[in-house]
Amino acid sequence: MLFNTTQFFIFLAVVLVLFYASPHRFRRYILLAASYFFYACWNYKFIALLLTLTAIDYTAALWLEKVAPGPRKKALLILSLSANLGFLGFFKYYNFLAANLALLLGKPPHSFFLDIVLPLGISFHTFQSMSYVVDVYRGQQKAVRSPIDYALFICFFPQLVAGPIVRAHTFFRDLFHWRPPSADDVSTGIFLLVLGLTKKMAFADQFAKVANRYFSDVAGNPGMATAWSGVFAFGVQIYFDFSGYTDMAIGMAKLLGFHFPVNFRRPYLASSITDFWRRWHISLSTWLRDYLYIPLGGNRHGQWMTYRNLAITMLLGGLWHGASWNFVIWGGYHGALLSLERLFRGGGRSWLYPLKAILTFALVLIGWVFFRAADLPQSLQILRQMFSRPGGHTLLQHWHVGLALVALVLAVGEEKFEWFERIMEAPAWAYATALAAMFFCLEVFGVIDANIPFIYFQF
Amino acid sequence: MRVPGTSRQTSRRLGLALPLAFLGLLALDGLLFRTPFYPSVLEMDSTAGGFELTLWREQQAQTLNGDNLVVTLGDSRFAYSPRLANELTAKTGYVFRHAGVAGTDVRAWYYMLRDLDPTARRYRAIVFGVRDYDDEDEYFTPDDDIRALHYVIARLRWSDVPGFALSFHSPSLKWEALRGAALKGIVYQADLLAFLAKPKERIRLARIEHRKYEQWTYGYEETPRSLEGLRIDWSAWKATFPPGLDQDQIDTVNRDLLREPAPQTGRLAAFRRAWYGRILDRYRGSPTKIIFVRLARAPIPRPDGLVRKKSATIREFASRPNVLLCDEHAFESLEHPELFRDALHLNRAGIARFSAMLAEDIGRMLGSAAR
Repeated sequence: MLFNTTQFFIFLAVVLVLFYASPHRFRRYILLAASYFFYACWNYKFIALLLTLTAIDYTAALWLEKVAPGPRKKALLILSLSANLGFLGFFKYYNFLAANLALLLGKPPHSFFLDIVLPLGISFHTFQSMSYVVDVYRGQQKAVRSPIDYALFICFFPQLVAGPIVRAHTFFRDLFHWRPPSADDVSTGIFLLVLGLTKKMAFADQFAKVANRYFSDVAGNPGMATAWSGVFAFGVQIYFDFSGYTDMAIGMAKLLGFHFPVNFRRPYLASSITDFWRRWHISLSTWLRDYLYIPLGGNRHGQWMTYRNLAITMLLGGLWHGASWNFVIWGGYHGALLSLERLFRGGGRSWLYPLKAILTFALVLIGWVFFRAADLPQSLQILRQMFSRPGGHTLLQHWHVGLALVALVLAVGEEKFEWFERIMEAPAWAYATALAAMFFCLEVFGVIDANIPFIYFQF
Repeated sequence: MRVPGTSRQTSRRLGLALPLAFLGLLALDGLLFRTPFYPSVLEMDSTAGGFELTLWREQQAQTLNGDNLVVTLGDSRFAYSPRLANELTAKTGYVFRHAGVAGTDVRAWYYMLRDLDPTARRYRAIVFGVRDYDDEDEYFTPDDDIRALHYVIARLRWSDVPGFALSFHSPSLKWEALRGAALKGIVYQADLLAFLAKPKERIRLARIEHRKYEQWTYGYEETPRSLEGLRIDWSAWKATFPPGLDQDQIDTVNRDLLREPAPQTGRLAAFRRAWYGRILDRYRGSPTKIIFVRLARAPIPRPDGLVRKKSATIREFASRPNVLLCDEHAFESLEHPELFRDALHLNRAGIARFSAMLAEDIGRMLGSAAR
């Protein structure tokens, strides 16, 4: 049940009605049942996996709270993390490791393959679960007593399959002190829901058609202009796809009285790669910072250790996205850029900002090549095309460029003047005009019946 | 349901904003797609574009002709040449115009006629070409032909939305039709994106097409290719094809002539009753005659009695005062492989013969051209 389908909106409407029509004490049960139903619509068999992980971490956290600091407590933490990483590793990385092992042994790549289906959202909910256990271990979070509350934290349907990765204290603060959403929350929730849908269906899916056309036949689409336009299309697609999903998730949560953190802040306006990672998939980058980079030592042990820590964090961040060398390279590429930026860090001049933003965007696009290409040889082929002599033709139509320019203007407006926040609080006619414009955009540009899945659902 | 805890003022703002947003959407949709501009620049080769161009051409023809106009409506099987039919005007007294569009059915013809003849008095006769006066359900059911939405999209008014949507059989198509008829941009989307890619070029081409469409279509000549030599052994349910046929010709014979009979559900009858019924109701009390013509069925007609037809809607209509049925055997002489280009359509020679026969038969049925 994708967010961009009629079925999902019927489901959401039913959940909202049941939620608000029920007495307060039943509401979390309704959300839990709805969340499991939502997950079961994709593949009911993996409910058992979700329940197992939930049970392990719920129990581990209760124990961790009881055990005094020391080796026993550490062992308990390691046990819990191993269970999470074990499941994640098996479902997500087994075949990747098996293929590489086969390669090392000189056997055909599929020699040790297993027919494994990747459970939906496993990377997201295991990270969420692990952060909870670590927080309890560190004493930053109290262990949750109710298994229902904990299960809801793990499987809350708006963010179950593709985040944002919500920290336990944020979620339980809203759950334990639940208050009905204010009218502003409702108005923001509806706005974000429509905005997210528009981003996904009118922008991401339209650019997806161009990107898919290019990446499915790179050799058949030669030339520098062709390559850049195909990669640009993917860059636009992935941003609108993922941030559209996140907007919808945040909007839905708001309608249910929960407040999720912002996950994207106009990343393509970033003036550097460091800035980009402060704006892109913020819930993952802060997770990696808090649970990987800082525990590794962060920037506290000198320049070279900092570079090492950055590299490890980004390599693992890349690998989190998918089990292939391309994702490792993508992570490594960003790690290298972050390290280089640290090395040549200088004072910013505001008049240089447009140039820096364009350069950053171009560097991010180059990174997307590894992210989207089928394998390493295809990535290299695309890079060769991008940096060959000028030639080829753009795959983008005038209206694609128009859509991208509209998005740019809106992003700059939001960055400088907080247009969207103002609109959400504006008088009824202005708010209605914005909604009508988005609906109209959906009508004329929305890819309606193709139901193109969200990119991050695969992670 | 009021969300608890919301202040009254902001709730009122939301309550006002949401309906306003939907009204705004409808206004934008109306401004772009319910005004004359966009339908006039539709891609000619699209379903909607072809339909609109045909309507426009026939509206122009009304201004150039007198009151002896006969308009024909049908799908691609109603293949005749108005030019050849009009060569007999001196004899028949009538000028024939063809408003049929390939792939359409009576649902689309209703909307075509509504805008072609708003007073329901412009034509001396409206001639519908049908395959059979009896109702034989086939596997392809016209009540679930969503192409109708795309053909008539520019003709649909707000008031048509519920009726049009409900005229589809399956719930998913009802929803698709409702959505598309209410928000036309969804249906026009592919055309609009192509338009936005090259707007000047489209407008230039649309102007040329409007200027030349009459010339292109009125003088159109069908292919002389035929199925001569085709034989079908109905006892073995097997066709023997002459050498030289292309795959399309062979496929149409296998698909349309050698098809298995479908279960008789009564859906075709209901569909015909609904849509011809609406047309006949519009022309009740009008001097315009409604004429049904059974077209030449096939190069080799399927044997009678393959299915037990439960109803004969067209025959039932004949009891209405201004409805006439052409002799159903009138065009059986055309049912020969040498007069068909494939299993469904007449070829050039077939069209030439049919055009003359049609003009004469209609002329005879209508009598003197003087009102």
